[in-house]
Amino acid sequence: MHLDPFELHQPATVDEALCIYRDHAGDADYLAGGTDLLPNYKMHLNLRRHLIALGGIPELGGIALGRLGSMTRLADLEGSGPVAGAYPGVAEAVAEVATPLVRASGTVGGNLMLETRCFFFNQSRFWRASLGYCLKAEGAVCHVVPQKEKCYATFSGDLAPALAVLDAEVEVATDRGRTRIPLIDLYDLRGDGIRRHTLPPSAIVVAVHLPPIARQRLGTYRKLRIRPAFDFPELGVAVAVRFEGSSVAELRVAVGGLETAPRRFDELTDPLAGQQLTEERIRELAGAITRSVRPVYNTFLPPDYRRRMTGVFVRRALVDLAPASSAAA
Amino acid sequence: MSRDRPLELTVNDQPVESAAPEERILLDFLREDLELVGTKRGCDLGTCGCCTVWVDGRPTLSCLTLAHLVKGRSVTTIEGLAPPTRLTALQRAFVEHGATQCGFCTPGFIMTASALLRDHPHPSRPQILRVIGGNLCRCTGYTKIIEAIEAVAREST
Ligand SMILES: Cc1cc2nc3c(=O)[nH]c(=O)nc-3n(C[C@H](O)[C@H](O)[C@H](O)COP(=O)(O)OP(=O)(O)OC[C@H]3O[C@@H](n4cnc5c(N)ncnc54)[C@H](O)[C@@H]3O)c2cc1C
Ligand code: SF4
Ligand code: FES
Ligand code: FES
Repeated sequence: MHLDPFELHQPATVDEALCIYRDHAGDADYLAGGTDLLPNYKMHLNLRRHLIALGGIPELGGIALGRLGSMTRLADLEGSGPVAGAYPGVAEAVAEVATPLVRASGTVGGNLMLETRCFFFNQSRFWRASLGYCLKAEGAVCHVVPQKEKCYATFSGDLAPALAVLDAEVEVATDRGRTRIPLIDLYDLRGDGIRRHTLPPSAIVVAVHLPPIARQRLGTYRKLRIRPAFDFPELGVAVAVRFEGSSVAELRVAVGGLETAPRRFDELTDPLAGQQLTEERIRELAGAITRSVRPVYNTFLPPDYRRRMTGVFVRRALVDLAPASSAAA
Repeated sequence: MSRDRPLELTVNDQPVESAAPEERILLDFLREDLELVGTKRGCDLGTCGCCTVWVDGRPTLSCLTLAHLVKGRSVTTIEGLAPPTRLTALQRAFVEHGATQCGFCTPGFIMTASALLRDHPHPSRPQILRVIGGNLCRCTGYTKIIEAIEAVAREST
């Protein structure tokens, strides 16, 4: 399929990339592995006339225990023994993204900055034109929740929840310099759903940083999808926990694939510090998370099923990670 | 209209000097500009694996790759695995095991599985299943494809 014409820029530094973006603000996109952006361009979704390829910027590469360059390919993360060994939940999540062929090109940065998805959006222009365009591309109304203010497209990246439960931070470059923010703050459920992240449009994700404490946590990632390859998450649950003796030191739970943004439930898990992870506490936590998520019908599986499976996955993950003495049952 | 930009790369061990618009997709460049039509266009969206080629030896979806981003690199297509009148051991095994029916997915499977056998001459069955997870076949039901790959793995020393 031929793409509509665009100019391809290949900067060698982050500053050069920002500068090119500034010259074409509003009419440019960054390109990493292209496994999300190019299918969207082929479907004529929000085309820009300038593509800024990030692959020639050495600073965005590199993979180490404490730092994943944003241009790290998913296949390289998966194949990196020490990193995968240190973060079992991340290893599980990355191995379940798409297919080996997509992971050979797709990157960590692209996975975090992934466009949100909806079955009224990820369609050809012909398909969308016949129904009438929607709020997220060229139209004025949402077909899922009919109104004109908010898009409910689903955040479908697998890595964000798995990294968020490790208290990862992202290093971000903008025109105003470098900042580091908690990875979970890249996303905001209260946004309009059209913008998929909280950063300024020109921002470049430079790297993901993982604190030393992350290496002391047990972790797991559970993904709901129809086929065991290819499919985006219909639900992703990440859990990370550190025990001191048989009681919880820190516990983090995050979900993705359900709403416009991934979410972490610190308000529900922080009170469990110092407690034993008993069967009852696990059941209560799973129930509270299930009650608080609000998926809509814009992916393949019905939202009520995805919501109920959230509790099932949270419970299974915690039972598997808990020391035998606490959640024996 | 966008203008062509020079594009030099190596395709099947031959240097290629060409030109293409900046938005040219590698799959289109191979099939339409170089007339290497062995690489197939299935979904054009990353969801079938028919378009798999090697970029510097690594299986890559050519439908999601910009031609200008492989400038200076080495691309191998199904045409480059063996001379025109010869078959590789894996290609022969596909024929012998009936692993090809309509044949549309075959170039993609061969590119993916040949890289696996090159890097791991004796893959386990779970390893094979995992690696071909990004290639779809609508005809064979996969069993014969897997048997063909295993047959080569068994014979190799
Ligand atoms: C068949 C198929 C199945 C898939 N299944 C899954 C799945 O199961 N789970 C999943 O998570 N994903 C899935 N994906 C989506 C995608 O392949 C991955 O999320 C991949 O990691 C995206 O990375 P990329 O480098 O290809 O992103 P790109 O397509 O290059 O970029 C994606 C977006 O991020 C922006 N961006 C990229 N890098 C940066 C950066 N450093 N700074 C700022 N912005 C940036 C781009 O501008 C673009 O908007 C699938 C894709 C396909 C084609
Ligand atoms: S949720 Fe509504 S506005 Fe958003 S992509 Fe789907 S139909 Fe469009
Ligand atoms: S044509 Fe490239 S994956 Fe289907
Ligand atoms: S042989 Fe027909 S699709 Fe595989």
